[in-house]
Amino acid sequence: MLRTALRNALAHKARSAMTVLAVCLGVAFVCGTLVFADSTAAAHRAAASKSFAGIALTVTAKPPLPGAAGPGPDVLDDALVRTLAAVPGVAAVRPTADGSATLNAADGTPLRAGKAWANLASAYVPGPDGKDGRHPLAEGRAPAGAGEVALDSGTAAAGRHRLGDTVTLATDGPALHKRLVGIVRTTDSRVTAGGTLAVFDKATAQQLFATPGHYTGIDLTAAPGTDQAELARRVTAVLPADRAEATTGAAQAAQQAGYVDTLTRGHEKLPMLFAGVSLFISSFLVVNTFTMLVGRRTREIALLRAIGATRRQVVRSVLLEAALVGLAASAAGFLLGLGIAAALPAALGTDQDALPRGPLVVGPLPVAAALAIGVGVTVLAAWLPSRRAARIAPVEALRSAEHQLPATGARTRVRTAAATALLALSAFLLIPLTRAEDASEENLRDAMAGCALLVAAAVVLTPLLAAPAIRGAGRLTRRLGITGRLAGQNALRDPRRTAATAATVLISTALVSGLATIGHSGALALDRQAAEGLAAEYVISTPTPTTAIDDATLRRVADTPGVRAAHGIADSTLFLGGGVRNIAGVDARTVDDAMRLDFTSGSAAGLGPGRIAVSATTARDHRLDTGSRITGRIGRGGPETAYTVVGVYRDNPTAGDALGARTEVQQHQFRPGTLQRILVRTDSGAAGIRSALHTAVGNSPLLKVQDRAELVREAAGVMGDLLTLMYGLLALGAAISALGIANTLAMSVAERTREIGVLRALGMDRAGIRRTIRLEAVTVAAYGTLPGLACGLCGAWAVGSLANGAVQQYAFRLPWGTLLLVCLAPLAVAAAAAAAPARRAAALRPLEAVAEQ
Amino acid sequence: MTADPFAPHTAATTSGTAASAFGLTKVHGTGDARVTALDDVSITFRQGEFTAVMGPSGCGKSTLLHCAAGLDTPTSGSVRIGTTELGTLDDRELTRLRRDRIGFVFQAFNLLPTLTALENITLPSAIAGRRPDREWLDRVVSMVGLSGRLGHRPAQLSGGQQQRVAVARALASRPAIVFADEPTGNLDSRSGAEVLGFLRDSVRDLGQTVVMVTHDPAAAGYADRVVFLCDGRLVDEMTRPTPDRVLDRMKAFDTRSRTS
Repeated sequence: MLRTALRNALAHKARSAMTVLAVCLGVAFVCGTLVFADSTAAAHRAAASKSFAGIALTVTAKPPLPGAAGPGPDVLDDALVRTLAAVPGVAAVRPTADGSATLNAADGTPLRAGKAWANLASAYVPGPDGKDGRHPLAEGRAPAGAGEVALDSGTAAAGRHRLGDTVTLATDGPALHKRLVGIVRTTDSRVTAGGTLAVFDKATAQQLFATPGHYTGIDLTAAPGTDQAELARRVTAVLPADRAEATTGAAQAAQQAGYVDTLTRGHEKLPMLFAGVSLFISSFLVVNTFTMLVGRRTREIALLRAIGATRRQVVRSVLLEAALVGLAASAAGFLLGLGIAAALPAALGTDQDALPRGPLVVGPLPVAAALAIGVGVTVLAAWLPSRRAARIAPVEALRSAEHQLPATGARTRVRTAAATALLALSAFLLIPLTRAEDASEENLRDAMAGCALLVAAAVVLTPLLAAPAIRGAGRLTRRLGITGRLAGQNALRDPRRTAATAATVLISTALVSGLATIGHSGALALDRQAAEGLAAEYVISTPTPTTAIDDATLRRVADTPGVRAAHGIADSTLFLGGGVRNIAGVDARTVDDAMRLDFTSGSAAGLGPGRIAVSATTARDHRLDTGSRITGRIGRGGPETAYTVVGVYRDNPTAGDALGARTEVQQHQFRPGTLQRILVRTDSGAAGIRSALHTAVGNSPLLKVQDRAELVREAAGVMGDLLTLMYGLLALGAAISALGIANTLAMSVAERTREIGVLRALGMDRAGIRRTIRLEAVTVAAYGTLPGLACGLCGAWAVGSLANGAVQQYAFRLPWGTLLLVCLAPLAVAAAAAAAPARRAAALRPLEAVAEQ
Repeated sequence: MTADPFAPHTAATTSGTAASAFGLTKVHGTGDARVTALDDVSITFRQGEFTAVMGPSGCGKSTLLHCAAGLDTPTSGSVRIGTTELGTLDDRELTRLRRDRIGFVFQAFNLLPTLTALENITLPSAIAGRRPDREWLDRVVSMVGLSGRLGHRPAQLSGGQQQRVAVARALASRPAIVFADEPTGNLDSRSGAEVLGFLRDSVRDLGQTVVMVTHDPAAAGYADRVVFLCDGRLVDEMTRPTPDRVLDRMKAFDTRSRTS
């Protein structure tokens, strides 16, 4: 039987190749992703352990206990450095003064900003030889004095900074301007993976990140042959126990690798999703191919049965053939996967967010996954056709090969019943969702299951609907003359095959049209919402609540010509009954000038210490109303306070979850007494206000100056990932559908050799034959596209209502352009996929086809 | 010679020749497998004449028909349909010539299973993108007696009915010449006789030119003229044949080929 299977797989090379290709795509995505993940993790680990290679221990100040006031690194001073140097087994000590600094590029835009832990700043600490081993100089000289800075080579290149330039940067307060005097090299993976590094002289760094004369950490190098645990004990003994601690270099390396790994964690989801979808769609192609092969070999199989092969042997030979095809797909997919893994860092990394490069690490997992998935999916998908093969009676060997069994009434009834049940179940899940109020876990699960069932129902139904649907479509194609008529009739000839081919198109169309609609509706809602509640013309903001705008900046902004009013907002967190909300501290007297608040009850006038206003969502979640009281605290260190709710306003992103009195919020902020946002009202017609505002905030790379349009654009950026996903799926679905359609048509042309010959003999030219085959492909694709579109839109409509809770102002809107693309792409792809079978059909000579009698 | 293959066939009537072949030679394969199917055959098919091509199996009669109908290209020699020299036509022109000026009837019927009888009959004009001539169509359809079955698919028709559809298809586009390749080979004698009757009627009543390949003396009896082919050569010709005369001639063949 193995020989039969092998012969069969080889005999239909082209058909097998197409199946292999389809399955191989999915395998490639899985393997590529796994290898990519292993490789980046290994690269991160290698980089991290390299940067801590020489460090045995690092001494740092213990974080102050919660509630204790202010940071206190003043224990790490030169005296402690000397004490540590004297500990036996310590070869060298190197104090550090590290923090973070955000830089502007030469053109004034923030450089790789947004991740504080990757925007490093450090002190240049010369060793005994006068050089800093941690920051070897590549160019220029070490920074000396408060006015100078050095950058690492990658940062300088990315920001287009040259020696002698003035670099604008900010650590947490106002912008600083320093002259670039040196370029250093660094191996720190946080920097090389897409961060930045600024190096100051020791005194400047101490002032910025600790206090004068003190450090943020002390690195110790062990003498050769020293036991690390023993050294740690000895070092801990000399430290002031409650104020400093020692961590081993290995522990730090692990921590840093973990940090950097978060950068790439999200990158694996997208390819894995592609893998899942492509495998799912491919399985239809496998089912289809094997069904066709079994159908074509009916006589052969019947003959085998007639000469004594058992049903089980027939099944086994089909499955064996599938396993061989799967094996080939696994091998090809694995190799393709290595290619994907090699290309992914370049594809996913951006200038802002470079991924580390390293050798490909191929563990046993990707190999096993390739084999399991490739062979598993193929064999599983071939199982149904193999059962069909087993049902072939020996007597079929004596019947005409062209004779095909039509679907019997019983099977049709089973199919109808199954589809009805699936539809009912999906409606049962989806319809209540249209009244759902939030995107709770349970609702989301229902939505997913409902959509999956809907697609399943459509897939089950397609063979039944094929005849009426294509007959309807035939009315259209008939207008194209005899070629259109024949195309429609041929697509109808084997409804099940047409349906299975169309199913691949159906699934991808459903996915993409659903995603596109949800994405479009969501983006529109976000657009409308982004500037909602904002009365001011400009917003100046910090990236996080932990960075601050000082009062001097607020005054400079207020004094800028053309500015009518500048409203400072203090942001903090509000802990309410186990939940964390954000709270904006505002001035009750001027808040109406800065924000446009729509109160459903109460008003902002009552804001004051102990009196807050909350958004509708917050009110609903905590069952609050105007006049209710709730206990909470502002900031991590704030006291538990009983707050009175003075008003409830409709959700808007400018005000956030809650509003409080600025004076009260400022007491309990991360950086007390500071502002995080300035809402700027301008005089109408004031020109050049933007650059004036930039100047007023000192061109600080930490502060963003945005007008309403920019706020909207920034919000729209959130949908970027969804777009990538959508177009990726569209391309993937199109590619696999193309394989399926090419496959089906090749089969169909082979079966119709004689008919094509007759048409040629009766005077249809080659172009006509090609047109017929292409139109048949388009008809099949159209048959998949329309139900797919219907499923996608139904799903989007049902699921979209979940967004009502999460995204205000969500409304079901159709992205006409994208939907048109979604509809036309499969048709175009189908026409292209039909090219090869069409060419083969057109090349048939009339005699070859007719003369064989 | 005109190079226009699309001139109406009436233009060729002046010569009275519907089709002619000159020095037709067809060689299949090379080396040891080399077979000469046609060996320097020259023949003329006159307009309004029903010609039967006869000969034992493998004598080259089907090859002659395929070459004359533009389905196959001869190794050497020339074929004319009307005044059009087939050798000068490219595939596209040849295709259009087959469509507009030649009708075919095959042994295996070769109807398209997805089309109804009527659609099969009008297929050539549909391919050409023309409306069929309604009056002519009615005449052809009623002649072959299919009026009641036009909406049926081939699978719903008997073999004889299918071949009648094929005959109607060949006649419906008013071709210059109809080639029939063993049209009764797959039929019982009664159905075969009907089909042959229609072919003869088309010649008598409609002035159609028909060339039929057959190995059945009874079928040849319907023709105006019988040409005999043996080992790729034209060996004899008989006008106003009867089945008995044809049978005698064929017997002579057999003895000769047996004795030779």
